Amino acid sequence: MEKPKHKLLSFAYFLESSKFYNKIKKFVYDLIENDEYKYKRYFDIFMIFVILSSVTLLVMDVKRHIPHWLDDFDLYFVTTVFVVEYLLRMWVYSDIHKIIIDEYEESSYFDKEMSFYSLFTKIAKNKWVYISSFSAIIDLIAILPSYRGLRVLRVFVLFRAFKMLRYTKSLTGFLYVLKNKKFELMTLLTLSTFFIFIAGIMLYVFEGDNENPNIHNLFDAFYWALITISTVGYGDIAPVTPEGRVVTMLIIFTGIGLISFVTSIIVSSFNERLSVLREDRVVQEVGKKKKLTVVCGYGLLGRLVVKGLQKEGVEFVIIDRSEEMAAVAYNDGYHVICADATKGTIFEKLGIVDRISHVLCLTSDDIQNAFIAVNVKSLKSEVYVTARCSDQEIATKMEYAHVDQVIMPEEVAGMMGAVYAGEPVAFEVLLSIIEEKDKTHINEIAIAEGSFLDNKMIGEVNFERLRLILLGVFKRSEESKLGEFIFNPSDEFVLNAGDNLVCIGYSTAVANLKRKM
Amino acid sequence: MQKQKNIVLFGYGTFGRQLYKNLRSRGHKVKVVVGLDDYVEVESDSAVDITRINIKRNDDILALNVNAAESIFYCAMNKTANNLFLVLTLKSLYPQANVIANSNSNETTRKLKYAGATSVIDLYEATSRRIVNVLTKPAVSMALDEIVYKQNDLQMLEIELQENTFLEGRYVNEIKFRQMGIILIAIIDKELGYELVFTDHRINHKLDAGDILVIVAKKENIKKFQEMLKKGINFE
Repeated sequence: MEKPKHKLLSFAYFLESSKFYNKIKKFVYDLIENDEYKYKRYFDIFMIFVILSSVTLLVMDVKRHIPHWLDDFDLYFVTTVFVVEYLLRMWVYSDIHKIIIDEYEESSYFDKEMSFYSLFTKIAKNKWVYISSFSAIIDLIAILPSYRGLRVLRVFVLFRAFKMLRYTKSLTGFLYVLKNKKFELMTLLTLSTFFIFIAGIMLYVFEGDNENPNIHNLFDAFYWALITISTVGYGDIAPVTPEGRVVTMLIIFTGIGLISFVTSIIVSSFNERLSVLREDRVVQEVGKKKKLTVVCGYGLLGRLVVKGLQKEGVEFVIIDRSEEMAAVAYNDGYHVICADATKGTIFEKLGIVDRISHVLCLTSDDIQNAFIAVNVKSLKSEVYVTARCSDQEIATKMEYAHVDQVIMPEEVAGMMGAVYAGEPVAFEVLLSIIEEKDKTHINEIAIAEGSFLDNKMIGEVNFERLRLILLGVFKRSEESKLGEFIFNPSDEFVLNAGDNLVCIGYSTAVANLKRKM
Repeated sequence: MQKQKNIVLFGYGTFGRQLYKNLRSRGHKVKVVVGLDDYVEVESDSAVDITRINIKRNDDILALNVNAAESIFYCAMNKTANNLFLVLTLKSLYPQANVIANSNSNETTRKLKYAGATSVIDLYEATSRRIVNVLTKPAVSMALDEIVYKQNDLQMLEIELQENTFLEGRYVNEIKFRQMGIILIAIIDKELGYELVFTDHRINHKLDAGDILVIVAKKENIKKFQEMLKKGINFE
């Protein structure tokens, strides 16, 4: 292999293996492209500031000349920022060294010599895709006004304002709407161009011949047609002959029709998009959380669970496929996404790999719950899945699918109901401690290292003074986090850091003990 | 000490079946009553005593011949409206009746209570607490599983003190329940009215006949304790 090729290749491999290079590139990518990266916001704000300042300078410059240093600021600082940003975007768009490596591996596979020509065309093609993209073109045009030779180019500063679209997500949403309705809008545009064309020519034929002093040429006639059809109607050019007026009347009617048509298309398209925009926002907001619980189904049970989670300060997001239910959850002030939880996409969007810790399948349909549970487990088996179920047979199937907790509301309530028959007092106790109807709750307290309970025997701890009833202790063990439940441990039982006490008592008594820890 | 009760269970849907199963396993006598056109799924091998009546008619309910004073009525129909109507009917027929109804939300609970239900079981409340506990208080959730939900050695139950037991006239703090393998959670002290009080040591209660103790313990220890109460033996 020739020397330059060899050098290029080894450089490419060096970049591929360099941790530092990849880290820097990843950081730059996150900063300018990754919406979920927390520092991107600051970058966006900085760019918006730069753009606004340059637009302000343009406007100020119209009436009076701005001081020299401000002009320098505009010329050097703003331009540098934009050029650097443009180059960085082009850099992170793709990896050239990967193309080189691919090209080399491909040619060595076929025992061919790697050719510089095909390599460079590949790289150029790859970067051209970026350069020719809409946003990159705007970025490039926004740099142009820095060239002071041509005055006209100053107006291109306004393209810098366009650049702001990039930094504000809601505006990009609007562009999406227009893009979605491209076909309808194009049809309407063609139609209106056709009307303007016909009406313009007709007016020119009727009045261009010195009848109307305001119509000098065909351009004037087209201008009049556009002003009229758009229902703006300046009145600087108005028809003077009866024929001209008839044409006007006709295109006014068409104009009203066209305008309302365009409006309705955009509005309906927005409505279609609204849920997606809302969903994006929810995904973005919950994206900041490190640990997330997903509640599927906002029915009667879902609502109660969500209330409990809220009270305990657990971060969660609700998914319901019915728009009606999603709207209820939204109005209740929760993060909600209207989506089908049996599909993988929504969980991937929410970051199942590194964010979601628990998924609760609480819809009223057993099969639906099983479906969601299997979906989640197949995406990532470590996620703790709780599924609601009302049928023992389905519960067995869910357990087979490794659902971590299968819970049957009817069974739980049935058990509670049966307790009432023989033991109404025990029932009251259950109701109080399980449903937290009273101030007395059941609670857990982890023993902190070096706290006053660490290395103490139960007999030495005065639970009476603490106003707590000790039910039992979870002894920490190597195998599991909680270990085994030891009911009513003896006085000689030694407590250690990491053990969990399960107590019944007033919430203040529990809080008091936790504080002492 | 568990007493066998006569129970009339209205409704045999998913919840009704679970209730039936649990009530039977606790040794109560259960009579199931369903509406005329209710679909009932019965396992072929079980001998469930099912009566079909028109629940809207007082005569049909009176014809069941229930001794209302000694029975407990469970309203576990699938439809909230039916349960509400049943509670109203039962309370108007037998004002002193013990009526338990199932509910699915706070709103339904409010209505059922207004209609006169003695107690209301929310289908989802306990379940939702259990789900939340798994996430936020895993130890509590596992402890409750052991004590309440799992059918195992540990049990929670209530004991009514009879005359002349060794506990009579003594204070709660004097008695070493824990050494007997028993945890006393709450009591109803007759002297203080019929209010349920948790024994988290704020007040030292004097025990008398007629007081009710709610305890958690292993089965064997419960048995020993009950024998001690019967024979009047002192533990110490």
